[in-house]
Amino acid sequence: MSVIALNDVVKRYQTGHETVEALKDVDFRAERGEMVTITGPSGSGKSTLLNMIGLLDTPTEGHIRLDGRDVTDFTEDELTEERRSEIGFVFQDFHLLPMLTATENVELPTMWDTSVDRHDRAVDLLHRVGLGDRLDHRPDQLSGGQRQRVAIARALINEPDILLADEPTGNLDQDTGRTILEELTRLKEDENIAIVSVTHDEQMVGYADRVVQLIDGEIQ
Amino acid sequence: MGITELLWRFPSAQMAWRNLGRNRIRTALASLGIVIGVISIASLGITGVAIQQQATSDLGSLTNEVTITSGEDSTTAGVTADQVDEVRNVAGNVDVVPQYSDATTISSRNGQEENVSVIALTQANVLYDVSAGESPERLQSGVLLTDSTANQLGIEIGDPIEYNGQMYRVRGLIESDQGFGGGGRGQLVVPESALSDRDNYDSVTIVTEDGDAATEIAAILRDHFNEETHNGEVDEELSITDYSDVQENINSFMNTLRLALLGIGSISLVVASVAILNVMLMSTIERRGEIGVLRAVGIRRGEVLRMILIEAAFLGAIGGLAGVLISIVIGLALFQVLAGDAVIVFEWESARYLVYGFLFAIGASVVSGLYPAWKAANDRPVEALRG
Ligand SMILES: Nc1ncnc2c1ncn2[C@@H]1O[C@H](COP(=O)(O)OP(=O)(O)O)[C@@H](O)[C@H]1O
Ligand SMILES: [Mg+2]
Repeated sequence: MSVIALNDVVKRYQTGHETVEALKDVDFRAERGEMVTITGPSGSGKSTLLNMIGLLDTPTEGHIRLDGRDVTDFTEDELTEERRSEIGFVFQDFHLLPMLTATENVELPTMWDTSVDRHDRAVDLLHRVGLGDRLDHRPDQLSGGQRQRVAIARALINEPDILLADEPTGNLDQDTGRTILEELTRLKEDENIAIVSVTHDEQMVGYADRVVQLIDGEIQ
Repeated sequence: MGITELLWRFPSAQMAWRNLGRNRIRTALASLGIVIGVISIASLGITGVAIQQQATSDLGSLTNEVTITSGEDSTTAGVTADQVDEVRNVAGNVDVVPQYSDATTISSRNGQEENVSVIALTQANVLYDVSAGESPERLQSGVLLTDSTANQLGIEIGDPIEYNGQMYRVRGLIESDQGFGGGGRGQLVVPESALSDRDNYDSVTIVTEDGDAATEIAAILRDHFNEETHNGEVDEELSITDYSDVQENINSFMNTLRLALLGIGSISLVVASVAILNVMLMSTIERRGEIGVLRAVGIRRGEVLRMILIEAAFLGAIGGLAGVLISIVIGLALFQVLAGDAVIVFEWESARYLVYGFLFAIGASVVSGLYPAWKAANDRPVEALRG
């Protein structure tokens, strides 16, 4: 069963008198252990699609299934619970909290669950992304590539089924970008998760198991 | 970091504390408003207490006294011996001290002169406390003199004073700051015999247990002596004065004053909470993306809300604590000056304003944090992340 499936999803934005149809009848699915890369020109609806997959936004029409469960009509609080347990996010500009150490940033998504201590997993994940010697460094003491590794570790702390990455290499140079992609490929297999990423980066397309081309809100 | 470890079990508090640490100057400035607000509330409240204590102690022992003089409609001048006996009967088991009054000039050996009022009575000890010598139960011979007057004229215990052509020895020096009368000119207390050639007493002083007893006895005496005539007017045989009215007036004035001072203090805290509202709003808008990330990775709305409210509460607590400490210093100084006893500030009567100030600070801060917290918690993560 697909870990995430979108059926006939339409997303319209109302700005003033104008209606923008950002997604038009999109069907999309992703499986565990698979890296799907979404490409397309700017404004084609890539981020909008990724937000739907990540349960950050709800479709105007169509259905979203998470592990076979229809979550289309979930309330914001119910969606929050799903994101908390099933989904990990990596953003283009990392979005780490500046006052927290690398380890604390990784623990952040589970910080409010005082019943489980994810400290050991956080340390383990940081070791696995090659930051075993940077555990107590703050973001401003880390390079861009190191920050993105912290962000990847953070995305995995809750043992998600899906990892979503919006232009994860967008702010990194070629070499660093490549190491991040290798990291993601390895983690995809180790953790048996679906990775859905959005990119302009030709290099990144090379690492994908499957490429989805989006133009004007339509999958080609 | 001790506090951080302590807060580990309370993630919202932990995050709030870290957030405040990010911009210390802003945190300090936001708290400063609260500091000033708390100082206003606490020190104005304490000032009220200090002034009230001062006023009450100035009023001194007078509140348990009833003073009787000849009434408006009396047929005699002064209070007659018969009336005094009747007062004794009606008033019961209290000290009733009839007295004559007069005025004279006392001169020292080197020719310096002081005007004093003269009181002739027997039970000196009921009305006068002495700072030196004795205040006799029955003043038969000798006199008492206010100690400040004695000081000025260089008169000591045992020195002779001439009054009405007779010589008296000074037996005791009266403490100068007794009641209202103490402030003005000095008093010379002589035996009743010195003025017993007069027909009637000038006044009678009744000394009771306390203010309530004085009020009660005054009422009984008024009932007894001042009968209502058939046309509804009161036939005032004796004028009977107690000081409960004065005390009450002072109390109600003090309450008004205290409310006014607290009002001023509260206004400054309201201003302070507007400052906190502004700072919290600014910092949540600045951190919009960050809060969006929190929400995206599954932090619940309630958790974000709590985090920001606790941030506001911490601001209030930091400012409140500083304000309380400064207010204690101000209070210590105030009571040292007004009452000569600095530690009165720790008595509940005044210490409670420190508590009020602190609670008000936290309350006002949390209320100010409500809107920014609600706004941040309900911001849709997609929008927040788009910037
Ligand atoms: N919140 C929004 N309100 C209005 N229009 C939006 C909003 N989000 C996206 N859009 C529009 O939807 C289209 C797709 O945007 P987006 O998904 O961000 O494209 P991409 O990520 O491929 O550059 C664009 O035309 C964009 O202007
Ligand atoms: Mg985009």
